[in-house]
Order: sequence, then C-alpha cells, then structure tokens
Amino acid sequence: MGDQPAFTLQIDQNKYLPLDGREVHAILTVSSTGTVTTTTSVPAEAAEVIIVDTSGSMSGGKIREARQAAASAVQALRDGVSFAVIAGTDTARVVYPRGRTMARATRATRAEAQTAIGRLSANGGTSIGEWLLLARDLLDAHPDAIRHALLMTDGQNNESGDAFARALSACSGRFVCDSLGVGSDWVPAELRKVSEALLGTFDFVRNQSDLSAFFNRITQESMSKTVAELALRVWVPQTATLKFVKQVSPTLLDLTGKRADVNPLTGDYPTGSWGAEEREYHLCVEVPPGQIGTEIRAGWVKLVRPDTQEVLASGNVLAQWTDDLAQSTRINGKVAHYTGQAELHELIQEGLSARAAGHVDVATARLAKARRIAAESGREDTARLLDKVVEVDPRDGTARLRRNVDKADEIELDTGSVRTSRLRQGGEGS
Amino acid sequence: MTCPLCEAPVLAEHAFCEACGHGLDAPACAACGAQAVDADGYCERCGLRQPTGRDEAELTIPGGAAGVTHKGLRRARNEDAMALLEAGDVTVAVVCDGVGSSPRADEASAVAVGVAAPALARGTDPAEAFALAGRAVAELGSSPDDAPACTYVSAVVSGGRATLAWAGDTRVYWLPHGCGPVTAVRLTDDHATATGEITAWLGADAGDWKPSVRVFEPPGPGSLLVCSDGLWRYLDGHTVPGAAVHPGGASLDLARELLRHALGCGGHDNVTIVLIPLGGQHG
Repeated sequence: MGDQPAFTLQIDQNKYLPLDGREVHAILTVSSTGTVTTTTSVPAEAAEVIIVDTSGSMSGGKIREARQAAASAVQALRDGVSFAVIAGTDTARVVYPRGRTMARATRATRAEAQTAIGRLSANGGTSIGEWLLLARDLLDAHPDAIRHALLMTDGQNNESGDAFARALSACSGRFVCDSLGVGSDWVPAELRKVSEALLGTFDFVRNQSDLSAFFNRITQESMSKTVAELALRVWVPQTATLKFVKQVSPTLLDLTGKRADVNPLTGDYPTGSWGAEEREYHLCVEVPPGQIGTEIRAGWVKLVRPDTQEVLASGNVLAQWTDDLAQSTRINGKVAHYTGQAELHELIQEGLSARAAGHVDVATARLAKARRIAAESGREDTARLLDKVVEVDPRDGTARLRRNVDKADEIELDTGSVRTSRLRQGGEGS
Repeated sequence: MTCPLCEAPVLAEHAFCEACGHGLDAPACAACGAQAVDADGYCERCGLRQPTGRDEAELTIPGGAAGVTHKGLRRARNEDAMALLEAGDVTVAVVCDGVGSSPRADEASAVAVGVAAPALARGTDPAEAFALAGRAVAELGSSPDDAPACTYVSAVVSGGRATLAWAGDTRVYWLPHGCGPVTAVRLTDDHATATGEITAWLGADAGDWKPSVRVFEPPGPGSLLVCSDGLWRYLDGHTVPGAAVHPGGASLDLARELLRHALGCGGHDNVTIVLIPLGGQHG
C-alpha cells in the first residue's frame, strides 16, 4: 500500500435553532492532504476491469466507438496494474486475458488486450448486472488492491429491474465503478443507478478525439487512490433521526440508503476509495424540541476505516436553542449553497422527465427556474446547456421550451446536473 | 442491566459492554440519566452538553465578602469567571467576562482571573497584574483568528480604600449602607462604543492595552459591587434595601438577591456578582 494521507474533517453550520427548531443542517468538508501525490508516493496496488457493451443495440458506429474507448482505456493503464477486459451481452465473458484471472499490465499485455478488443462485435441482449457480477468475481481475487471498473455502454439495459438491483447490491462496497455513455442516444438512467450504487461517476465524451484524455484522467484518478475504503460513521442522539447524508461535492450522491448499522445510534455510510482530494457532505438531523440555552451534540461524525476501525478524523454537529432571532435565522453560506445545488439538480431531472413525457408547463417552469439558479450559483456551463433547452425572455422572465434540441446537449445537461460548483471564499458560488 | 448505548444486556461487574465496547463506568447524564457522558462532556445517548461546576457557583471569605456566578437562562455555559482572595488585611476580587464572539472564551476568563488574583494578593501593581493576565490569555490563541478573549476588572481593597483596574465593560459600583432603598453608583467607565461593542479586552488580538485605574475612597460605610454585564444591564432604576448592605458583615444574601433580580429580568447573559464590604469596622 502507498502512504496513507492525513485526513481533516471540518464542519460548517449554524448551531442555533429557534425554540421550535427541529432540523440541524451541516456541511462536512473532508480533505486528505499531506505528501501524497501520484509522483512521490509509492503507488497502491490497483486492479482495473474494463467492461465493453457488445449487445445488439451497439452495432454499427457505436461498437466502433466503444472499441476505440476501451483501447484508449487499456493504453492509459500503468505498468503493473492488474487488469481484465469483459465483453457484455445477456451474459458476460472475459475477452482478455484468457480464463478467470487478471493480467499484469506491460507493453505486451496492453497490446494483446487491444487486439482482443479490436475483434469485438455487437450482437445479443444486455444484462449490465451480469457484467458487474463478473467484474466483482475478478476483483475479489485482489482484496488488497484499489479495485475499480470502467463500464462503456449505451445504457439500454434489458434485464429485469429486480435482477439489476440485486446485482448492484451484491457489488456495492466491493469496487468503485465509473461509467462512460456511448453513442448520441444513450440512456443516462441506468448508469445513474450504477454510479449511485458503486460510488462512481457517469459521463459521456462528445468528441471521439477527447477519449484518450478522458481515460487518462479517469485511470489516473483511480490509480492515485491510496486508501481503499473509508466510511463516515455518524452518531445521532437516541431521540433524534438522521434524515439524510449526501455527498454534495464534487458531485451529488445520496448515501442515506447505504447505511450499515454499527449500533442503534450509529451507522456507517460508505465513501469509496480516497486519494489526495476534498469532498463535501451535507448532513441533516431532526432533533427533539429543546429548552432555551440547552446545547446538544446533534451529530458525531468520524471518518473511519471499516476494516481496522481506525478513526482518521472526527467532528461534532451541535444544536443550541435560542430565542435570539439574529442567531437562529442566520443561514450558513455553505449549507445554503449546497441546498441550492441539490435543488438545481432536482429541477433539471424533473424538467427533463416532464419534457420527455410531454408535460410542457411543468418542464418549462422547472427548467426556467433551474436556469436562474445555475446563473446565480456560477454554473455557467449548466446555464449554457439550459439555454439550449429553454428560452427565457430577459425582459419579463417568461419562458418557453425550444423545439429542436440536440440530443447530445440534452444528455450532457442530464449527466452533468450531479456536478456541483464550489462556494468561493466570501460566499459567492463559483 | 443493559448498556446505555446499544441496549445489550451487561453484567454489573463489567467495565465495558461486551457487545459494543462502551465503557460502563462513565458519569451519568444530567438529563437522561444514562451512564454515557464522554470525555468531551456530551452524553453519548441524548447528546446533552453537561452542566459544569461553573454554571452556578458561590464564594465567601471570612472578611464578609461574597461572590456568585451563574450561567443565566439563555446561555449554554458560563463564560464569566470570578476570583475572591484575602491576604492579611487586603481583599482582592477579579471578574472577567469571556467575549462571546471569540473561541473558548470560558478558558480566557478562567485563565485571566487565575493569573491576576494571586498576583494582586502578593501585592503586584494592578496594571502589572493586568499585563500578566493579558499575556496568559494571549498565549491561549494560536492566531488572531483563533484568539480567546475576555473583559477584565479588578478591585483591591486595603486600608479603607479600593484600587480598581479594568478593560471592557465589566464594572464596579458603590452600594451605600442606609435606611431606605439605595441605588448603585457606578465607579468605572466602560471601554465600549455607543452600541455596546467593547473596545478593550484581553486576548491575542487585543493589542498593547493599559487598563484604566482608579482609587476610590468611600464616603461612608457600604459595599463595592464588582459585576459583569449580566447583572448591570438590569440595574437601571433598581434599588436594594440600604439595610441589606452590610458594611461589616456577610454579603452572600445580598449577592444572591441581586442574582435573583438578574434571572427574574430574563437572565439573558452570564451573571457574576462580587460584594466587598468597605468603610465599616473591617474595611
């Protein structure tokens, strides 16, 4: 294993509640700092599975695009990384290396893998869950490695929802999976489920010429991880309820449903693997009514390694009741910012669904409001994409949906809505 | 018997819960009763920050001086601190009020009174004792952004007169002994703006301050009242029975009476009250 970075956990909140106040909100900023960089530290052992969708829906241009993507991904592997390539239809099979073990990346094995990828053709059904289960079996043979999978697909899954959900749950916590959407008509919905269950990202690359840069970034990020799995261990008082735990930066990811009970008051929320990076989490606790002046610890957060129980950082979320409105009505800037970013994401998702279902009024209202929040919170890229879907009159604010929308713009808006902007020093969004 | 945290059955002779590892000899919570108060002072079952000894305390010394301090009704903790000492015929009182907008303000006030009062009792000059306390409080801060701070007032009573030194808005009043109702006469001027923000304090961000100093010779028998703003904000127009001001005797009853007055008015802030008899047979 590489050097373990030093972790810090900072809590931003307004602890003051009005006398009838029940909800405590806090933003947790977790940073891993110290000397860890990809150039100076001893790299951790890494295991990478590349999964290519070779189902019938991929035939034609899409399979060519996927082959090129997979070859770029193999090219980006560092020497010594354990890797395998899976081709997926209604079943999954390892196309490189032969058998059920993984190969060590060298110049020769990368070339062999690329040859195998070049022979892939598209036909058959799609069972993404089956592919992930095979990836899990391969990765399970490398328990000490940072385990990662890279999935390329058009997202048109035709296995049963139950089977897919079972497979995701069986893989959850075993490895991190990033997904790449292929083609201009791929379906983000299924890849969103993969990203939520396996704590990864999902993305698409508009220009084929940007693929190598994309894979270099994804594999670099994956291989710069030095800690395999950390959890946020959250305690709340016996009479309180933990309403949600969400990652809010760099992307939105709801962890609430991933709780593993430690004891009746404490649960672990998985965060996946860590390198030198910073992430932020939004936590909301519902507390019982309190007396004026009383202070309680409403949440006790620890960053832990579940395998060793080692606590890397910890902090308190507090609540104190007051009748001083100047104190209780002050809104913490970070809480407000990320509440807005989560709302923006929901507005885009609801707006796009309503638009697809033909509910023009709902779609227009949601997307126009999203346009305003995007502009106010410094999300220029998102605002630009929203402009391609909805037209807002700058004079009177009236909005209407645009008729001809480029499918790629719509997908980019859909997939990009989980990315959040950071709060600049001084309180403005950036 | 069950574990206060995980509710697993535990045996009375065990020191730790076998199910969750929680220590079973922790202090009991003042609110929910669980034996689950951790080292940081929070209950690990209901979350309550536990009251401390400073929340409510009284002090008396043989010469008749007395002090009370109380966290009040609106604050989670008491950031005021007081000290009352006697050395020979010298009586020393120091009251400090932690600045609410600074971190660990309760530490600042405790350190300030803990350094200044013994120094004054040894005969250190009041301005020098102030400087010693100032350096000790400044050392608590790691940077100007992390600088615990407090106000300061000291009273040294000896030979029938009082030497007062102060910075900020903790005050000294004169309460005359008498027959009818009496009102408190203020002896110190605050270092504060018209809107109440203090302009002088102890702390790493305080700069190099000299305290205001005043020598007071009482016009007759009475008591010095040394107090924090938790009391004096309710003193305007308030009277006490002049007969209750004992120039030669116990002051605790009157100090408690003034505390009840402050709490009765709302107790918005921490309250600290020290009374030192002066001008009577002892002063």
